[in-house]
Amino acid sequence: MISIDRRIIFLLIALATLLPLLHPFGLPIKVSPEVQVIYDYIENLPEGSVFLLSFDFDPSSKPELEPQAIALLRHAFRKNLRVIGMTHWLPGTALADSIFSRVAAETGKKPGKDYVFLGWSPGAGSLIISMGQDLYKAFPTDYYKNPTKGMPVLEGVRNLRDVNYLISLAAGSAGIEMWYVFGKDKYRFEMGGGSTGVIAPGLYPFLRSGQINGLIGGLQGAAEYETLIARNGTAIAGMDAQSATHMVIIILVLLCNLFYFILRNEKEGPM
Amino acid sequence: MSGQLPTAMVLGAWVATGLTLLIFSFLYKDNPLFKVGEHLYVGVSVGYSVVLTYYTVFNRLLSVPLSKEIAEKPMAPGSYVLLIPALLGLLMWARFFPKIAWLSRISFAFVVGFGSGVAIPRTISSYILKQIEDTVNPLITLLNGGLSFSMNFAVPQSGINTIILVIGVTSVLFYFFFSIEHTGPANAVARTGIFFLMIAFGAAFGYTVMSRMSLLIGRFDDLIAYSSKDFGYPTIILLGLIIFGLWYWQRHNIDKPEGNS
Repeated sequence: MISIDRRIIFLLIALATLLPLLHPFGLPIKVSPEVQVIYDYIENLPEGSVFLLSFDFDPSSKPELEPQAIALLRHAFRKNLRVIGMTHWLPGTALADSIFSRVAAETGKKPGKDYVFLGWSPGAGSLIISMGQDLYKAFPTDYYKNPTKGMPVLEGVRNLRDVNYLISLAAGSAGIEMWYVFGKDKYRFEMGGGSTGVIAPGLYPFLRSGQINGLIGGLQGAAEYETLIARNGTAIAGMDAQSATHMVIIILVLLCNLFYFILRNEKEGPM
Repeated sequence: MSGQLPTAMVLGAWVATGLTLLIFSFLYKDNPLFKVGEHLYVGVSVGYSVVLTYYTVFNRLLSVPLSKEIAEKPMAPGSYVLLIPALLGLLMWARFFPKIAWLSRISFAFVVGFGSGVAIPRTISSYILKQIEDTVNPLITLLNGGLSFSMNFAVPQSGINTIILVIGVTSVLFYFFFSIEHTGPANAVARTGIFFLMIAFGAAFGYTVMSRMSLLIGRFDDLIAYSSKDFGYPTIILLGLIIFGLWYWQRHNIDKPEGNS
């Protein structure tokens, strides 16, 4: 039996990640239909439409979902949409606020006028139902304790029925499925999703059935969205490293299988 | 150059780099430096959650509106309605006192009853009915005045994809049907189910690998950014310190008599 120190594999993966980050080779990025749908939907929203972005993740999923959030916010602000931000994940509140404020400052948008970050509130499914009944009872104040009632950005918004498009960027539950089950299914707004790679395969049945209209999956999805808005970010920069590590893993899997069959034949040979 | 960056940002870079490298040290082997990083992560997460929960739930949703309502309309019974959830919340704490622990059942009964009532119909509608509806798509569609059967794999609702979906769903369901022995034709159906399951597991595993690599790329991105002069070279300095720490710990650990490590 052949065995190698697992640290050699770690080293190979580290090199495959590090080298393309230091010297990118610029592999082409093909946009998938499920990402294109989200882009097209936002692109076709009239100016001043209400776009709710739910940051349903915490810092442990930052590398995958932060680039998605930044790309979506840049697109929404460029389209002059009224953006509402919130999170169902308590540990992700400060991260969500930091992303929101950073992109808003970069695009010259004003809090309360162009966007509002509502922060976190407990309840998950119950909170969505509460928002569907009365947004101001669910969130009497925003993250900075400003009263939500009377905010210019929320003018004409009473509840979730007044939201034109919603995207949940999810790393698990509470996330996309919860927004569909307690939100879209009941209050009839259109929604899409962005997710980590781990949970993306489980969301494809929802995409197929039209329960969500689009899906941005992992860093690859974020890179596709960055390509669509023509603003290179960390996702595009990371895709070369992603491809290189995948190549190393494929080669390792092939080699392991090759050695497995060679050794098995050698073992069976003398018998 | 480093003077141009705010101190908080430079300090943040040093903390983030240090914690990342402490956690990465586990790749060598389990060691005290990793334990420090792990415990700090758990402690900070819990501390942050407790503080934010206090300010959001207790202050924003209970204390402030309750005192405001009582101050404005002290005689109106509606002003005191928030005391009901507050009382239910307090009863949860009764679990810590064995003599009155039974009181917590009132709160749990409320949570379970409300939760089930809200979740069951919505879950059946979204997860079962809607998914069944999508599984039984029509094979043939009426297009431009004529019947058509689409062979386009790229269109989820095409006829060919509908056939694959129906075969997949029925064979996988049959694989988990243990009331009859899987022999003969039943074996063929069950084995087809296994193929579909393997493809699903493969796709899930592929996505998981992609996801984990993305996390690694994210950390490496930061480590590269923080290796610059602007931040005071935290990556290089802390990497050196951690390698030295591991070397020292390893040496110390080997020198110790067996059983004391």
